[in-house]
Amino acid sequence: MALLEVSNLEIAVATGGQLLPVVRGVSFEVKANETFGIVGESGCGKSLTSLAIMGLLEGSQVRITGGSIHFDGRELTALSAEDRRAIMGAQMAMIFQEPMTSLNPVYRIGDQIVETLRQHRDMSRRQARDRAVELLDLVRIPEPGRRIDSFPHQMSGGQRQRVMIAMAMACDPKLLIADEPTTALDVTVQKEVLDLMADLQSRMGTAIVLISHDLGVIAETCDKVAVMYRGKIAESAATGELFSNMCHPYTRGLLNSIPVVDRDVEWLEAIPGRVPTIDEVLSGCAFHPRCAMAEARCESEDPDKRDVATGHTIRCHFAEVGSA
Amino acid sequence: MTFIASFLSMFRGRKLAIVGLIWLCIVAFAAIAAPLLAPFDPLEIDPVARLSEPGMPYLFGTDHFGRDSFSRAIYGARMAVIIGLGSVVVALITGGLIGMLSAYFTRLGHVLMRGVDVLMAFPALLLALVLMTLLERSVTNTIIVIGVVYATTTARILFGMTLKLKGEVFVDAAICSGAGHGSVLFRHILPNLISPLLVQASFIFAFAQLQAAALDFLGLGLPPEVASWGNMLSEERIYVTRAPWLLIFPGALIILSVFSMNLVGDAMRDSIDPRFKDDIAGV
Repeated sequence: MALLEVSNLEIAVATGGQLLPVVRGVSFEVKANETFGIVGESGCGKSLTSLAIMGLLEGSQVRITGGSIHFDGRELTALSAEDRRAIMGAQMAMIFQEPMTSLNPVYRIGDQIVETLRQHRDMSRRQARDRAVELLDLVRIPEPGRRIDSFPHQMSGGQRQRVMIAMAMACDPKLLIADEPTTALDVTVQKEVLDLMADLQSRMGTAIVLISHDLGVIAETCDKVAVMYRGKIAESAATGELFSNMCHPYTRGLLNSIPVVDRDVEWLEAIPGRVPTIDEVLSGCAFHPRCAMAEARCESEDPDKRDVATGHTIRCHFAEVGSA
Repeated sequence: MTFIASFLSMFRGRKLAIVGLIWLCIVAFAAIAAPLLAPFDPLEIDPVARLSEPGMPYLFGTDHFGRDSFSRAIYGARMAVIIGLGSVVVALITGGLIGMLSAYFTRLGHVLMRGVDVLMAFPALLLALVLMTLLERSVTNTIIVIGVVYATTTARILFGMTLKLKGEVFVDAAICSGAGHGSVLFRHILPNLISPLLVQASFIFAFAQLQAAALDFLGLGLPPEVASWGNMLSEERIYVTRAPWLLIFPGALIILSVFSMNLVGDAMRDSIDPRFKDDIAGV
């Protein structure tokens, strides 16, 4: 039984009296101790999916219009606000993209960790503070006993992201959602943060949903990957399978547009065109206007999800043709 | 200590603001120590010495009842501070709550902020006059009315700032760690609003003085027996040719205090909001 089961998730934006679908029929499962990666260009719906899982869409113009999110035996979409608060932070936690703004500037970092701890655990101030120092040590903040009284602006981006991880891991959550956790960091710090997350995962058995637009990060850290395009999962497979046997022309396009260090490339192959805006109505496969393999059928018929190998699904009519 | 040090650092290089601050300290001292400083009871009547000129023993002269103007001015300072602080508290609490709740709960905001808009459509003094005519003249009512009038601008300002803070990632992060609405609003958003609230408080304090003086002058503010600068002006205005000092002293006190408070408020705002820096260098 998977820890997190998202099935047929539909999310729409309400604008000018109509609902524009932005996430359509996304399904995936994440088991304990597993890292699940979601890749895609900006606007493909990957962040919205993560926000929907965390229940952060409430009160905005974006809402879940269908499907279910099952977490640890409970249906999240039907949970009362109070029950959800009990889960948030304790059993599922999130790390955000912007380490510069994700900590409250007016509080010392220690107070923010202590608050999370005391919200969910029956702890005295003293105990919570000791635990916070431990956590800071765990995420390799030097001199945690002294740094616990620092304000966010006194720390570097990498350190703040580690503090965020410490906060997220404070109550040993079963699920950690990381929305582009390393995008705002430079490459060396990026590596440290990813290693740290992997290390914590192996110690605590946390399931991680890692959202990124960086295929390199995904390849290095994830067990399974889903590639999203325009609100749908275009291709999904175990990481090894996906990178050795890319089927969907979009996935291949993404990989081809990454410069390779050991090869001398004159010209990087970009995917032509741009991501369609959410109010553009497209018939057939959403990728067909940009796809080199597109044929008449792609314009009229939206491809269904199908298996190409065990655990490897795609949404494309012709995927195998070009995979050789 | 660090708070006082950082407060004083706001006034570095601003000579006029420092003068203003000193004047406000004098007013505050007079307000606290009024019974010790005032040579006479502010209500004590000396019928023989009606409308006497400034001198000894009546420093600011006496009014048409023979009450000592100097003592009344000192007790007036006490009233000014009470009205100022009271209005600030009422305005910040009601306006702050309306603004923050409106920004946080969008639907409630549609209703509340339209109400605020309606109130803001009236000039401040007119609104205060209308409300005062509905209420009995008393210190408490004056404070409430002035507080409500300035709650509207406070609500507007906090509405905008809360709206901005609500979108910050640390708010999402707080929700993700299981914080409820109350905790998000008052523990995560409110502490970020302290500096603008302080600045707003300084301006409300200044405007409350003017507003209270205007209400007193029009005979709708504090009860006539209360020693306030506005009442002193109002009661003695018919003696402006015979005993002009009866108007000059309280008038000067009002002007000095409001001007000082504005200078201090400007200095605070400039040091908090860098956009205003160097616009009026040296002031």
